Amino acid sequence: MAACTVYTTQSLHSTCSISTPSKTHLGFNQKKQILFYNSGKRVTNRGIAAVPYVIRCSGDTVVIGLAADSGCGKSTFMRRLTSVFGGAAEPPKGGNPDSNTLISDTTTVICLDDYHSLDRTGRKEKGVTALDPRANNFDLMYEQVKALKEGKAVEKPIYNHVTGLLDPPELTKPPKILVIEGLHPMFDQRVRDLLDFSIYLDISNEVKFAWKIQRDMAERGHSLESIKASIEARKPDFEAYIDPQKQYADAVIEVLPTQLIPGDNEGKILRVRLIMKEGVKYFSPVYLFDEGSTISWIPCGRKLSCSYPGIKFTYGPETYFGHEVSVLEMDGQFDRLDELIYVESHLSNLSTKFYGEVTQQMLKHAEFPGSNNGTGLFQTIVGLKIRELYEHIIASKAAAPLEATKA
Amino acid sequence: MASSASAVAIGGPARGTIPSSRSLGSGRSSCPRVVSLPVAARGGGGGGKAGALAVRAMAPAKYKGTRMREKRLAEMIEEKVREASEVCEGDARSDECKVAWDEVEEVSQAKADLRLRLEKQQDPLESFCEQNPETDECCVHFD
Repeated sequence: MAACTVYTTQSLHSTCSISTPSKTHLGFNQKKQILFYNSGKRVTNRGIAAVPYVIRCSGDTVVIGLAADSGCGKSTFMRRLTSVFGGAAEPPKGGNPDSNTLISDTTTVICLDDYHSLDRTGRKEKGVTALDPRANNFDLMYEQVKALKEGKAVEKPIYNHVTGLLDPPELTKPPKILVIEGLHPMFDQRVRDLLDFSIYLDISNEVKFAWKIQRDMAERGHSLESIKASIEARKPDFEAYIDPQKQYADAVIEVLPTQLIPGDNEGKILRVRLIMKEGVKYFSPVYLFDEGSTISWIPCGRKLSCSYPGIKFTYGPETYFGHEVSVLEMDGQFDRLDELIYVESHLSNLSTKFYGEVTQQMLKHAEFPGSNNGTGLFQTIVGLKIRELYEHIIASKAAAPLEATKA
Repeated sequence: MASSASAVAIGGPARGTIPSSRSLGSGRSSCPRVVSLPVAARGGGGGGKAGALAVRAMAPAKYKGTRMREKRLAEMIEEKVREASEVCEGDARSDECKVAWDEVEEVSQAKADLRLRLEKQQDPLESFCEQNPETDECCVHFD
């Protein structure tokens, strides 16, 4: 059942924007319910039209939660995700340049760091890290996510990562797809219940170390010891507060060091596992060859030649924190386009709209990190799954009787 | 302002594809007529912005504000790492130690994001200019 709120807009002659975009280039069906009524008092001679009403039905917004430790909104995952829906996500124009929010035509990505209740000095005084739930305002997070889900715009605070201060709030309008990304999307029970789908990006310690080295070694202030110390110091809080969210996620992308090269610790070749919860509404896990069975597959051979160390896939059912899950795992990297197409043609339940869509999406962003291994592949697949989930949810809501809109 | 605008537009080679995206914008003809400066003046004067562009064609061109920001962040990282090492000398398990290294992580991430943003978008005015091609900062003059 959809409850509707009525927004009044200015006269259509003025140059203002209505909350829903007029051009939709999306590849999916959606029924937009925008109705314009004129009030009784219409002054036609002077050319001033009466105030038209735009009725936007709530329940349109799909909320996705993404738990990641790699900063907000600028991560590769977000860029791939928004690209699947169409358009590039950019920071809001004309606002605070240090805003963490990303907006595209269909998607808005909100960084949960904006809900810090303590700024950098506050945290220093209290002796809490940003990972600690005491540094975050979950009440405000719940209120605002709920409001956005119901189709109301909110004044969302901004946490400035450079200055470490809380900046004045920015107006955030409800999008079709709202992604909340950060350290604690599934921490609070109430927020968790608002999520239509949740993902947890689980990077193992060795890979995290290798990535942070890549990121920070060029900095003058950093050395191997400082990077190591930083990771070690954050570990207890991370394991106490962030890691337990894994059990609530509908999909977990686990990134581990490869098993194909014994003793490799450079973190260049990765073993990535896509853990998909069974029984989630509108979410059908990807499988290899036969759903529910256990398969180990090395595509390289007579038909496909790969360079060292090659590629290895496994698929099978498992239990994860007491839930039934299906796990698809990829170890190794893609070197050539035909390897990618070959692999795609053997995976089932990918939720693609046409043959080769996964490959096309990966190629579109070939310069993103992870484009040649499981991270890019599974992030793209999760993006397609979310698209399918969105379409199902919208279709089921549109089936609700239209009488509800004539409120 | 107008002089730096013309220098910015014509000092194109240092910034790769950016000028072409500006020139594709609409409203080129609505640019107000401006007195064009001799090349020498464009290169040397016109503020730190234009000077940096015209003179340093080899390094990725960076605006003064951007360079300042990068420097500030780099200094912040150094300072915070030093602070954290000091604090943690006493007790590596204390809250202060954790918070100090958390700050290091936060600032390192901010610097990495800035670097990424710069690689993607050399021109901080790009998004503004797409929306407002006729303003002084964004107008492209063909003299």
